[in-house]
Amino acid sequence: MIAADDLEIMVEDGEYLCLLGPTGAGKTTALRIIAGLTRPDSGQVFLDVRDVTDLEPEERSAVLLSQTYSLFPTMTVAENVMFGPEIRKVPEDIRKRTLVELLDLVRLTKRADAYPRELSGGMQQRSALARALATNPDVLLLDEPLRALDARLRIDLRYELRSMAKALGLTVIHVTHDQEEALVMADRIAVIRNGRIIQIGTPREVFDSPATPFVANFVGQSNFFTGSVLCSGNDRTTTVHDEDGRVVFARPCALPADSKVVVAVKIGNTRVVKKSDAFLTGTVERALFEGRIVHLDVDVPGLGRYSVKLPATRRDQVAVGDEIGLNWSVRKASVFPYPEGGLERELRVD
Amino acid sequence: MPEVELRGIGKRFGKVVASRNIDLKIADGEYLTILGPSGCGKTTLIRMIAGIIEPSEGSVLIGGRDMKGVPIEERDIGYVFQNIALFPHLNALGNVSYGPIVKDMDVRDIEEVPRRYLELVKLLDRMNMFPGELSGGEQQKVSLARALASGAKLLLLDEPLSALDARVRMDLRYELRRITKDLGLTVIHVTHDQEEAMTVSDRIVLMRNGQIVEANTPEQLYLAPKHLFTANFVGETNLLEGTVREILEDRTLVELRDGTVVEARPSSFRRGDAVILSIRPERVHPASQGMRAVVRSITFMGTYIRITVDTDSEDRVNFDVSTSEDRDYNIGDRVDLIWSKRSGTLYPRPPEGVQEAIKLE
Repeated sequence: MIAADDLEIMVEDGEYLCLLGPTGAGKTTALRIIAGLTRPDSGQVFLDVRDVTDLEPEERSAVLLSQTYSLFPTMTVAENVMFGPEIRKVPEDIRKRTLVELLDLVRLTKRADAYPRELSGGMQQRSALARALATNPDVLLLDEPLRALDARLRIDLRYELRSMAKALGLTVIHVTHDQEEALVMADRIAVIRNGRIIQIGTPREVFDSPATPFVANFVGQSNFFTGSVLCSGNDRTTTVHDEDGRVVFARPCALPADSKVVVAVKIGNTRVVKKSDAFLTGTVERALFEGRIVHLDVDVPGLGRYSVKLPATRRDQVAVGDEIGLNWSVRKASVFPYPEGGLERELRVD
Repeated sequence: MPEVELRGIGKRFGKVVASRNIDLKIADGEYLTILGPSGCGKTTLIRMIAGIIEPSEGSVLIGGRDMKGVPIEERDIGYVFQNIALFPHLNALGNVSYGPIVKDMDVRDIEEVPRRYLELVKLLDRMNMFPGELSGGEQQKVSLARALASGAKLLLLDEPLSALDARVRMDLRYELRRITKDLGLTVIHVTHDQEEAMTVSDRIVLMRNGQIVEANTPEQLYLAPKHLFTANFVGETNLLEGTVREILEDRTLVELRDGTVVEARPSSFRRGDAVILSIRPERVHPASQGMRAVVRSITFMGTYIRITVDTDSEDRVNFDVSTSEDRDYNIGDRVDLIWSKRSGTLYPRPPEGVQEAIKLE
């Protein structure tokens, strides 16, 4: 079985990189190879310019914070944090100073003498972070650091974790399956699937200019339209039509006329419009209030379900059963060659 | 038929009170979500309804019948756990057939019913696969089909999506709601995820420290939360500290720490009351004149941009602008912010402090 295949990533000093992908994509394997916990079958790992491929984990200046935190249950927070420096025989005065600073950083000064089981999930996570930082690493490897926490807490901790890493000038590689987490936290996102990286870029690049239909649908959900190119070319809006004569528009692409393609547009960039301005029309099947937005499922006859995120301020304008028009800004729609193996297979998220 | 009623139920584990004095009615066909942070007592509550835990006080009624002493297998409920609990040695079809066989349904139903529910969760083509060969999302769909095939009209879902990837979870939420509504089931769903609760529910019960904070439709809970804790937990919000300056017929004027006066909904507060103003990020807009602030961070959120500012009143505020906005924001920029007076909600300033009042764990 190949867990990670021919991965090439260059992470800059001080960069926060998210490795994003579904379960089983090879994210954790990649992280363990960097940490030195798993030997790669081929290839090399460099930290700075030093080849560390054959070095033991403790000889690398990278530390891995695992999903389950793995704090020592019989040690207090302070003892957990000091475990690494003690093993390394760091002088006592420096150890003490490090402890004070780290506990302050993760806001656990008052809980220094507590045992892990006495702490909430968020506090355990922060203790584990302090313990990882106590070894004074240059590179912090985070394996789903927020997965075990409540959803609402996770939202707050995203900002906290990122600003801590930035304040310390750390280089971070953060593995996650949560696209929203990656968008909010990363300087750059590497999307990984089946052991391969399919795209690396800033959150905006990955979201607005996905490399494949999979990325378009994994990083923010997309609506898809399958058809063939009617006209295209440099700086020209791409026109795509299907056999039933429907026509939609998308950003310029290099695919020649008659190519079989899929057009992808984020559900958040799909708009409800008058029928005269519409690319497609359909009937509202469901309207689910989600707070800042209302999620609409629209049945487009012959094409199936399209989804729309309508700003909640407009919720009174659309009701279940209404016939509505859909369109999108041409710049927000990407065109891809129709995937080999079919669209459904291409889009599978697990 | 299976309406559920909880009358003053509570549960103590030794000295620890997991939940207390809970009264709740769930209507036939209703999709109710019990939402709250870890340790709020929501899991204890659903286990008492299921009959896995016996309440220390009060009673559970299902379909009008007191469930005291009735074991889980006689309560006629379907139960789906967070940690997928399929029989590993049975394939998908075998797992889903378990209920009909145990229930001694007639031969034709044992043949037909499991297939019907596998079809419903769109896994008929994978019915011969074993749990180990299915993805997490597929396994959880089989769990759901198994719970449904037993014929139960009351479905209890205990964090059914928590173990799954974020993206899979998103798709399954809609599926869960679609399937249960199509079948007309009564559903009680426990989750810590407020987004999930908003999407699937007819009504949300928000819990904290073993008690119900408030219960309402997703829309009312988001648009008009009665408590500060709710305003923060269900969706994100900005909380500004201030003092009531004046009550007018159509709005309340609130003075912030630096003397800036801002608007909120009409209220029954009195002049001089210490209050917290809650305003959602999507309701705050830049303007030429308003609450003064400095941009601290700018985050791309996909279909919108989240801007975080520090105000002159020393509050931290998030607001959202469209990605197609003409104006370019930079860290350090000065901005002025406004909102409609109808969007701001006021709460009494909690004596224990705001942070304590909204604490998540």
